[in-house]
Amino acid sequence: MKQRVPGSVGLICGVVVAALILLWVGADGYRQTLVTTTATYALVALGMYVPYLMAGSLSMAYGAYAGIGGYAVGLLSTRTGLPLVLAWIAGPVVAAAVAVLLGLATRRLSGFFLAAVTLLFGMAFTALLVDAEGLSGGSGGLGSLRKLNFFGWEPSHYQVVIGSVVVVCGIAFLLDRLRMSPWGVVVRTMRDAPRAVEAAGVRVPVMNLVALAIGAAIAAVGGGLFTYSAGSVTPDTFTLNLVFLAIFMPLIGGSATPWGAVLGAVIAVELTLNFPVIETSGTLILALGVLVILLLAPQGVIGYAARLARLVGGRRG
Amino acid sequence: MGQLQLWLSALEMGCFFGLLALAYYLVLVGAGFFNFAIGTYAMVGGLCTSYLVLYEDMNVWAAAAVAVLASAALAAVTELAVVRQVQRRSGRGELPALVAVAAVLFAIQQLGGYLFGYTTLPGQNLATFDPVSIGDTVAQPSTVLLLGFTVVAFAAAAAWIRYTRTGRLLRAVGDSTHAAGLLGLPVNRVRLIAFLLSGLLAGITGLLFAPKAGVSSLSGLSWALSGFLAMVVGGTGSVWAPLAGGVLLGLVEVFVPYYFGGQSHVYGLLLVALLFFAFKPSGLFVRRIRA
Repeated sequence: MKQRVPGSVGLICGVVVAALILLWVGADGYRQTLVTTTATYALVALGMYVPYLMAGSLSMAYGAYAGIGGYAVGLLSTRTGLPLVLAWIAGPVVAAAVAVLLGLATRRLSGFFLAAVTLLFGMAFTALLVDAEGLSGGSGGLGSLRKLNFFGWEPSHYQVVIGSVVVVCGIAFLLDRLRMSPWGVVVRTMRDAPRAVEAAGVRVPVMNLVALAIGAAIAAVGGGLFTYSAGSVTPDTFTLNLVFLAIFMPLIGGSATPWGAVLGAVIAVELTLNFPVIETSGTLILALGVLVILLLAPQGVIGYAARLARLVGGRRG
Repeated sequence: MGQLQLWLSALEMGCFFGLLALAYYLVLVGAGFFNFAIGTYAMVGGLCTSYLVLYEDMNVWAAAAVAVLASAALAAVTELAVVRQVQRRSGRGELPALVAVAAVLFAIQQLGGYLFGYTTLPGQNLATFDPVSIGDTVAQPSTVLLLGFTVVAFAAAAAWIRYTRTGRLLRAVGDSTHAAGLLGLPVNRVRLIAFLLSGLLAGITGLLFAPKAGVSSLSGLSWALSGFLAMVVGGTGSVWAPLAGGVLLGLVEVFVPYYFGGQSHVYGLLLVALLFFAFKPSGLFVRRIRA
């Protein structure tokens, strides 16, 4: 049997679905917005994947990290003349640094305590954005942003949509590889048996910080993407709702692989934004659905699809 | 506004946080579990009352009764349908329970918005009488009711835990669910009672506090955080500890914005949380165990 690259099955499935979605979108402006929103949700959920599902600590400051990415785009665009692409370097770096600082301040916390402090941090960050009017533009935020420009080539909106889908697929694939790498195995073991990992000579706190930094950087990429396609950013752009949805997305899709988070993001956006019949109650249905999934089907959609494939194939994959 | 008025306001906030913290405390003592959904029970208590009075022309006491029963029912459903199931499956792991309670919080928040609208509604006064004034300090009827209820609730909770059979069972079950089960104590019933009581308490607290700043479906999350912080700051050493934590937070909530302006109370709360979690994670009052 020919040896295949681990994670390639997920990548192929993801790319096929992404291509179908891109064909469905076409030149429709509303659908393009839906896709960039989905990509943002997916990136925030993917950012949470490493610390939350691999390392097992639920940090809820991701609204702040996405906000940092968004404001990096906004500030670079309105306050400087630098190429806008740099925002996607500066934003994730700053977000990762903030995540490390917050991680140091909360390094002894876990579970409910960590969730509470990180939620408060997210709220304080929003308050800071409103208060620091000189820098962040106050509650009005930053608007009329520049377009991307690569040496004279300005990508159209549709090309940005394609680019964002490619970024999501790429990051999901890389995280899938990371999950199966030796580093990923150590991080996942750390979640279940931190003392054993510590005794084996691994610095658990350092690993936690690295996981948090990676996650924050990915979420900042998503925040920058959303800000760019929306053309503006305000303190209310990345709400706590987004953070809650991002916790639930991997559960909906299936928490076994990062692709589950992406699938969950697609389902979440479809339910909350693109379902005219249940427009007002889409989020409610989503929330109740999450509870049902949590109680009855903890493996999510991908988990069941994999079981089905195994049943059909008649052997373990 | 005189200084004394500020202190009264801080006391009122403190009592509110303290009552929420007491609701946390009951569930924590009985079930060893931080029920973040308590903030949303309080939201339902306040929002449902306002909605029924404003849009259904219901009598305020009847509306309050419906709302408080709804909060208690939500608490019971949380325990029976979610927490118990998730804990049974995942054992001692904390993360599944945390995610479950986040899902419950989010679901109740969305349910509140769906049923009662997404706008902020003014709180309803249970009783109208002339404001009580001492010097130039004026206590509104809602304030008087909240302070009075705080005293009654804490005294009742203290007496209940200390002197009644169920109250002592509560502590036994919370201290060691496993041992309590081996002894044949009614673990499930005691846990359900803890959840029901905390739901009732949170519902009443929410509707008594609503006149101060109104209530919307989104209030639940910040109330949940404030109550949790108040309980952690106070500690679990005594029934009155949550009140101490609540009053401390109330002082922060009122005096920090008074001196630093803007939204500085959020930074203040974050600072208090970080300081306490880093240096005194067990809170101000800790139960001493005699060896």
